[in-house]
Amino acid sequence: MAVRVLLPGLLATQAGGKDSFDVDAATIGEALRALPIADLIFDEGGELRGLVNVYVDRSDMRIRDGLETALDGQEEIQIVAAIAGG
Amino acid sequence: MTPMILAGTRKGLFLLRGDADRRSWTVDEPTLEGWEIYHAMQDPRDGSLYAAGNNFVYGATVHRSTDNGKTWTRSEGLGLPEEGELKLEKTWHVEPGRDSESGRLWLGAAPGVLFRTDDCGESWDVVEGVLNHPTREQWNPGAGGMCTHSIQLDPADDDRMYIGISAAGVFRSEDGGETWAPANKGTSADFMPDDPYPEVGQCVHKVLLHPGKDGRLWQQNHCGVYRSDDRGDSWERLEDNGLPSSFGFPIALDYSRPDVALVVPEDTVRHPEVGGGNRVTTGGRLGVYRTEDGGQSWDLVVNGLPEQAWVEVLREGMASDREDPAGIYFGTKSGSVFVSPNTGDEWIEVARHLPAILSVEVGEWQ
Repeated sequence: MAVRVLLPGLLATQAGGKDSFDVDAATIGEALRALPIADLIFDEGGELRGLVNVYVDRSDMRIRDGLETALDGQEEIQIVAAIAGG
Repeated sequence: MTPMILAGTRKGLFLLRGDADRRSWTVDEPTLEGWEIYHAMQDPRDGSLYAAGNNFVYGATVHRSTDNGKTWTRSEGLGLPEEGELKLEKTWHVEPGRDSESGRLWLGAAPGVLFRTDDCGESWDVVEGVLNHPTREQWNPGAGGMCTHSIQLDPADDDRMYIGISAAGVFRSEDGGETWAPANKGTSADFMPDDPYPEVGQCVHKVLLHPGKDGRLWQQNHCGVYRSDDRGDSWERLEDNGLPSSFGFPIALDYSRPDVALVVPEDTVRHPEVGGGNRVTTGGRLGVYRTEDGGQSWDLVVNGLPEQAWVEVLREGMASDREDPAGIYFGTKSGSVFVSPNTGDEWIEVARHLPAILSVEVGEWQ
C-alpha cells in the first residue's frame, strides 16, 4: 500500500506543481528517494540535506529510526524546510 | 530587437523588457521564486535562458528555459563525485560554449570547481583538471565561498579558455579545459604579506576577455585592476591614475573598443593596503570609472547616478551588450538597475526596489 508524501511549496513547484505523491516504499528513505525531486533533498553523497526535516504522521523521523524507519503503508510523510535564513 | 535584462536576485530572477533605445524598461513578475540567482544569462546560440540557482535548504542547481522564462527545467543530480571529499556548495556562473559546440556550456561553482555539459544542462560532468588541480591545497575561499565565477573562451583559439576562482586566481587552458596553468604573474595578493606575488592564491573578483584584441584580458581583483595583453602570461596593475580605490568587484567592457573598461570601486584602498573592510562604493556616492586608453587613466562617469549613495555592485552585477555605442548595465544590492545606452556617458535608473541584485546580464526577447 502506498504512503503519501507531502511536499512544501518550492519542491512542489519543482515537481511540476504536484504537492503530494503516493509511493510504494518500505522505509522513509525509500519513499523519499522515489520522489522526482529526490536530488533536492539528498546531496550528491546520498545524505539528506542538513536543513530538510521529515515528519511521519506528525512525528520527527529522528525520534524513530530516521530514514530507516519502517513503513506499513498507512503513513503520511511530510517534508519541512527547517526554519533558518532570512 | 527588444532588449532583455536578466537581473538575478536573492529572491528569484527578474526579466526587464527594454525599448530599442535602451532607455525605457519595464519589469516582469519574478520567476524562479525561492531561488537565489547567482547568475543568469541568455545563450546567444538558441535564445535559451540559463540560471545558476541556489537554495539554502535544497542546494545548488542550474535552470533552463526555452520560452523566455515562462517555464523552466532543472539540471537534476548536479554534484561532485561521490567518492571525493568535496561537495557542491553553490552554482555561480553559466557560460555558453562556442558556436560550433551545440549543447555545450560551462558552469563555475563552489568549492572552486568547473562543470561541462554537452546536452544543454541535462547532465554535467565535473572538469577533473580543475577539481584535482595540483595547487588546490593553496586555494582559499573568499567571503562568498571558493567560487569559480569567471569563464572566458578565447575566440582566437578553440582550445584556449580562462577561468577565475576566488581565491585561487586565474587559470588558462590550452587544451579545451583538460589541463590548467596558473596565469597570475604580476597580480598581487596583498593579504599575504609574506608572499604577495604567489603562483596561485590571488583573489580575482572578475575576469573578462576582449574578443577584439588577441591576448587582451581585464581583471578586477581584490587587490587592484589589471590588464593583460599576453593571454595572462603577465598582468599590469592600473592604479594611481584616476581610480580612487584598488578594491571593487565587477568590470565591464565595450566590445567594440578593446581599450575601454568600466569599474565600480569600493572603499578607499591604495596598494599595498588590503581592501574589503566596508565594501560600499567609494566616497559616499555611486561612482563608475571608465578608461578609454587601456587603463592608463580613468574618469568618473556619473551623469544620472546618485551623488549620495553607499551601495554594493557584486562581481556578476555588471554587463555590457554588443551594440555600438555599448550599453552598460549594472544592478545594486539595494535593488536598483542602472542602464547607460552610451558606454557610461549618461545613466538611467530603470528599476528600483527589487530584491538584492546578485547578477546582471543582457539578452534579447525571442
